[in-house]
Amino acid sequence: MRRLSLVLSLLVASAALAQVQELENPGVTSAIQDRPYRLLHELDIWVGVLPLDAFYVGVYAQLSYSYHFSDRFAWQVGRGAYGLAARTQLRGELERTFGVQPTANDEVQFFVGSDVMWKPLYGKLAVLNRAVIHGEVHLLGGATLFRFTNSGFRPGINIGGGGRIFVNKYVSFRFDMTHNIVLPTGGGTTSFGNVMTVNLGLALNFGGTE
Amino acid sequence: MKTATRLLASCVLAASVTALAQGAPPPTKPADPVTGEPAQPAPAAPAASDGGVAAIAPTAGTGTGAAPVAAPAPAPKKIDPKLFDDALNDYFAGRPKDAAPKLFDYTENVPSTDENYAWAQFFLARSLIELKLNHAGAVYLARIARERTNPAVLTKALEELQLLTDRPHDEVMIDEQVFGALDLGFLPEEIAGYAHYQQGLVDLRVGNERWATTHFAKLPEGGAEASRAKYAMLVTRLKQAKKDLPKEMIDQFFELAKDPKLTQDARNDAMLAVARLRYELSDFNGALDAYNLVKLPALDPGRAALYLEEAWTRYQLGQVHAAMGLLTTLDAPSFREEFLPDKFLLKALIYRDLCHYLPAKRSAKELTRRYSESLDAVRERDDLTRDPRLLRAASARGSTRRARVFLESLELEGEQLGRYAGTFGERMFGYMTRVYDLSRAEAVRIYQQRLTDSVRVEADKLLRAAEQVRLMEYEVGLKLYERVKKGSKLVALLEEEPLKTNQVSFKFADEYWNDELRTYRFSLKSRCIEETAR
Repeated sequence: MRRLSLVLSLLVASAALAQVQELENPGVTSAIQDRPYRLLHELDIWVGVLPLDAFYVGVYAQLSYSYHFSDRFAWQVGRGAYGLAARTQLRGELERTFGVQPTANDEVQFFVGSDVMWKPLYGKLAVLNRAVIHGEVHLLGGATLFRFTNSGFRPGINIGGGGRIFVNKYVSFRFDMTHNIVLPTGGGTTSFGNVMTVNLGLALNFGGTE
Repeated sequence: MKTATRLLASCVLAASVTALAQGAPPPTKPADPVTGEPAQPAPAAPAASDGGVAAIAPTAGTGTGAAPVAAPAPAPKKIDPKLFDDALNDYFAGRPKDAAPKLFDYTENVPSTDENYAWAQFFLARSLIELKLNHAGAVYLARIARERTNPAVLTKALEELQLLTDRPHDEVMIDEQVFGALDLGFLPEEIAGYAHYQQGLVDLRVGNERWATTHFAKLPEGGAEASRAKYAMLVTRLKQAKKDLPKEMIDQFFELAKDPKLTQDARNDAMLAVARLRYELSDFNGALDAYNLVKLPALDPGRAALYLEEAWTRYQLGQVHAAMGLLTTLDAPSFREEFLPDKFLLKALIYRDLCHYLPAKRSAKELTRRYSESLDAVRERDDLTRDPRLLRAASARGSTRRARVFLESLELEGEQLGRYAGTFGERMFGYMTRVYDLSRAEAVRIYQQRLTDSVRVEADKLLRAAEQVRLMEYEVGLKLYERVKKGSKLVALLEEEPLKTNQVSFKFADEYWNDELRTYRFSLKSRCIEETAR
């Protein structure tokens, strides 16, 4: 009982303190700014890697187009990438020491896909107290169709996220990471596959704030 | 009778000697760089020097009574003509520190009729400016302008002086005694333009608008000076306008505010003038448009006066939330030292209009609390220049600010001079020290003179605000204890503007970002009941 009354008195005191604060300095202040950079049509040129496979590292170039419905939602209408595989040391060792056939590994040759983009975070950064740069963080979810060297075409679903730094009204840089779960269909495969993409892109913006 | 005649004769003789020394023969010795007057009577031999170093006159121009005692002139030194070439080699090899003492030696030991004399002065000035001793450099350039021994050097010296006017400089020595007194007939066009502008300004300052107009009319149309002259004329007319503000003046200021030949600062000043004039005519929307057209460089904190005036305009338009946002801006570290007693009054008015009476009373009290020492000083009739807040406020604007900045630059350069004690040698260092001491003494005098006037203006401003605040406290006190009738409803006539789709809101958490300073908006619900709502 005594403990309860102690807790209650503390609660009442803190509520009273908050009220005093509110009475002395009422109101909330916010900086209301026009967004300096708004997007509508976006064309991206990307370079990326597929880092997850232990036997090769895929390096690819990608092109994509996105349409921004609002400052929060966008549709990455289409993206297509073509990659080259750089074999890892492990794979070389397997082929040399254990006679594994070079064709035994399935590699991503190219892929196309589409995503929806949700952009919940928008903000700015002070660069050494001399400049302010604006950026946003987005989440991605979509579907991708992969072409593998052995198993052929296989669909996948992907989730991921990324960020964007605005350079000016026309140009921004994007960094995206997505994880693709490749479905066990096509090419006689029975298991799920995992393909991770990490890419850096130059985005050209048209029809927005410029 | 004989004694009286002899006395009279000796007086006449003395007077004629003085007259001769003052005006007649061209001095073979360089004029004193501080006062611009001949340092000593002309020596007999052309190569002889009277040692101008020892002859800094304490009178006139920029000198004061606190002059050093003149030391006996050193014996003239024979100068190797190669010294000038050596000095030039040093200068053009990027060694102004080595060039300066050689050039000084040269100018002190050759007659002013020497063909290289004016050039030596010019390069000495350039060397001193490169050593960041701008005032000393200006002294030599001004000396060239007054002596006019070599027309080719004169033009260059005037160009250099014109460049120096962009920095803190001796306004009396450069603006008034050089550009304000130049014979304009022989000058090249660009320098003549600047001189006409300066002479027009001097005329305006003494209230002679007709003469100023004559000078300004000679400025090349479309030049930067012509635009600046227009601005100066408009400001003068505005000051003279008593009650009826001429409306066409707003358009003229507006035109100037768009003139690309003016600096951005001057354009902003013109736009602020437009805003103020519109405010005076109760065209608050027009005033707000003008405030919005004031362009600040990216991430520049701007000016406190701009924000406060905009806040008053928005308040008059009923945009109290935006007005309060601007008052938040004025609490930013960049403006913490600003003297803005009105700020507390406006804050109290806004809280009062939103029927938050306790905060209104607190804001009103804040003024008397914050400026209590200054108010006490005014009431006690103390020396107001000793009050740190009033002193800071008074020396932050206009001509007092310019005087303060020049004084600070002199002090800095005086310290800088100490570094060259060894390089310059005893004679040159002693001379430069005396130049700086005299100039500093005069700069202090001018600063104090201007400060005395401007501190009174600031004290008046404070007293007026304190009076308003006392009325406000009384009014709010009555409201606090007003009885609320049964069934009274809250009314919110002062609605907040909703956020637009293209806008983003960053909640303020005591961290000021320069890019946000103009965009703060305050959010507070009105607590007014029907009867008391604004």
